[in-house]
Amino acid sequence: MPDLLSAQERETELRAFARTRSGREKPGRYWKIDLETLETGANGSTGAAGRVEIEGASPRVIACDLETAARDHAELLARAFRRAIEPQHKFAHLALAHAGLGAFIYVCADCALDDPIVVRYRAAAGGTIFPYTVVLAERGAQVTIVERLDLESGAFVCGVAEVVTGENAEVTYASAQFAPPDARIVFTRAARPGRDARISWASAELGAQLSVSDLTVAIEQPGVDAKIAALFFPTGSQHVDIVSSVDHRSGDATSETLIKSAAAGRGQGRYLGNIRIAPHAQHSDASLRDDALLLSQTAHIDSVPALEIAANEVKAYHGATVGALDPESIFYMTSRGIERNEAERMIALGFFEPAIDRFPTESLREELRAALQAKVTA
Amino acid sequence: MAESGLKISDLRVSVEGNEILKGIDLTVEAGKVHALMGPNGSGKSTLAFSLTGHPHYDVTAGRASLDGEDLLALASDKRARAGLFLSFQYPAAIPGVKVPNFLYAARQAVRPGELTPAKFRTLLLEKMDVLGMDPSFLGRYLNDGFSGGEKKRLEMLQLAVLAPKYAILDETDSGLDVDALKDVADTIIALRASNEGRDTGFLIITHYPRILQYITPDVVHVMIDGRIVKTGGADLAQRIESEGYDVLREETGALA
Repeated sequence: MPDLLSAQERETELRAFARTRSGREKPGRYWKIDLETLETGANGSTGAAGRVEIEGASPRVIACDLETAARDHAELLARAFRRAIEPQHKFAHLALAHAGLGAFIYVCADCALDDPIVVRYRAAAGGTIFPYTVVLAERGAQVTIVERLDLESGAFVCGVAEVVTGENAEVTYASAQFAPPDARIVFTRAARPGRDARISWASAELGAQLSVSDLTVAIEQPGVDAKIAALFFPTGSQHVDIVSSVDHRSGDATSETLIKSAAAGRGQGRYLGNIRIAPHAQHSDASLRDDALLLSQTAHIDSVPALEIAANEVKAYHGATVGALDPESIFYMTSRGIERNEAERMIALGFFEPAIDRFPTESLREELRAALQAKVTA
Repeated sequence: MAESGLKISDLRVSVEGNEILKGIDLTVEAGKVHALMGPNGSGKSTLAFSLTGHPHYDVTAGRASLDGEDLLALASDKRARAGLFLSFQYPAAIPGVKVPNFLYAARQAVRPGELTPAKFRTLLLEKMDVLGMDPSFLGRYLNDGFSGGEKKRLEMLQLAVLAPKYAILDETDSGLDVDALKDVADTIIALRASNEGRDTGFLIITHYPRILQYITPDVVHVMIDGRIVKTGGADLAQRIESEGYDVLREETGALA
C-alpha cells in the first residue's frame, strides 16, 4: 500500500481525534446522541468492507482511487489532500487516521465537463468505512461531482470530501444519502476556493439513524462566490446534525447558505450555521437562510445561526423560520378541490424546492423529490 | 331534478364568539350574476369564507346548499368538487409549488380525468392570453412574490380553468388599475360565453361599483352589519355610486 500517510501520522491523527471537541451544541431536549463519546467502530475491519466506484469521468480528467493517486499523481494530490480541512474538524482526524478508501478527481485548467462525475462508496452490512474524496480543479476548470453512499444495514461511515480550486474555477459538489435506518454517517466536507472561484455544496441527508455533517468553505481570496445548500428530514427516530461554516477571511466575496429541514415522527434535527467575517474582509456579502418545518408534536429541530461579523462594510443577511404547515395555505389549496392530505404533501414538498433546485441533474432532483414525498406521506 | 342554485338561508356565522352574519338569505341562480355590496366590515368576506368552509368561521345556524347539496356538511375540498369557487382577496403564497402543477391538481380534482397534461397546458396558455398573462407565469411559484394585480389575475385564471358552477369573487376588483380591471371583467365575460361556464352563477362581492360597469348584475344586494338590508336591480349599484352607503343605512334603519 502506498504511503498516503505514515504510521506515525496516523497515530497523530488518532490523538488529534481524541483531543478535539466536536464543537456541537450540548445535546438538546430530545437529542439522544453525544458525539464526544460516539462509538465509531474504528477498530473494525476497514479494508474489505468498502469499495469506491467512479462513473462518468472523461479522458480529460484524472479520476482514480486514492491509493492510485498517491502512487501515480503524488504531486497533484498533495496540492489538495489535507488542504481544505482544518484542525477543528474532529471527525476528519479519524477519517485521516484510517484513510485508504477514496477518490481523487483532477480537472486541468480551462477544462469544462458537461456531465457530472459520480463517486459511489459502498459499505457491506455492519462494515465501517472511511471514504475520502479529494477534488483539485485548476484555473478556469468546471466540474460537478455527485457523491453517493450505498450502504448496507448497520454500516458506519466516517468520511471527508475536500475541494481545492485555482482561479475562476467552478465546482459543484452534491451529496445525497438515503442510507438504511440503522446506518450511521459522519461526514466532513471542506472547500478552499481560489480567486474568483465558484464553489457550491449541496447536501441531502435523508437516511441513516444518525447523520452528522459539516459543510465548510474557507474564503481566502477575493471574488469567491460560495454556496451551501442542505436539506434534511429526520423521521422515525432519525437524528440529523448539520453544521455549515463560511469563513470570510478575504473581502469582496459572496456567500449564500440555504437550509431546508423538516422533521416528523420522533425525528430530531440540529443545525448550526456559522458565518464569520474577519476584520479586514470588507465588502463581504453573506446570507444565511434556514427554514424548519415540524410535522409532528414529537419531532424537534434546533436551529442556531451564529453570525460573527468583525468588518464594518459588509452585507450580512440572516432569516430563519420554524413552524408547522401554514393553515391558510392548506385552506387555499383545499378550496380548489385538492384533498387536505394532498395539499399538505404539495406544500411540504414545495418547501424543499428552493434547496432541491441547488442540486445538479434532473434525475437527482427527481430522486430527492421521491424520497421526500415518501417521508411526507409515511 | 334537485333544486338548483346556490341557496343561503338564515345563515348565522360567528368568529371567536362574535356574531358577524346575523341571518343571511340569498339565492344565486345558475347563469345569473349577483352583486353583493356593502361598506368595509359589513360581513361580505365572512359570507365568502363561511360558504367555502374556512375553519376560522363558525356557522351557528342556517343552511347553505349548492344545487340541492348541503354545503355545510362538506369539507372545503368537497365543496369545490361540488362546484363552488372563491376568488380570494388575499390568496396565500406557497413557495415551491409551481403554478401549472397547482392548477393541474385543482383541475383534476374538480373535473377528474378530462384533460391530459399536454392538452391542459394548451388550455392554460389560451386562458392566460385572455388575461394578458405572460407564459413565464408558468415557471413561477404560486403567488410567491406576485404583485397585487398578478395575484388577482391568477385568481381569474383559476376561475377560467376550473369553470365552477358557482363563483364567489371577493373584492377581485379592489386595488386594480383600469387595464387589470378590464382583464378581470373579460375573463368573466369569456367564461359566461363558453360552453363550460354558460350556467355559472356569480356572486360578485365588491365595495365599489366599478366592475359592475363591465358586467351588468341581474341582482344587487346590499349588506350592512351582517344583514342584507336591500335587494334590487342594477340601478341599486348606481344609487350607491352617487349616494354612498350612509343614505341606505339611514333609510333601512341599519345600525351604524
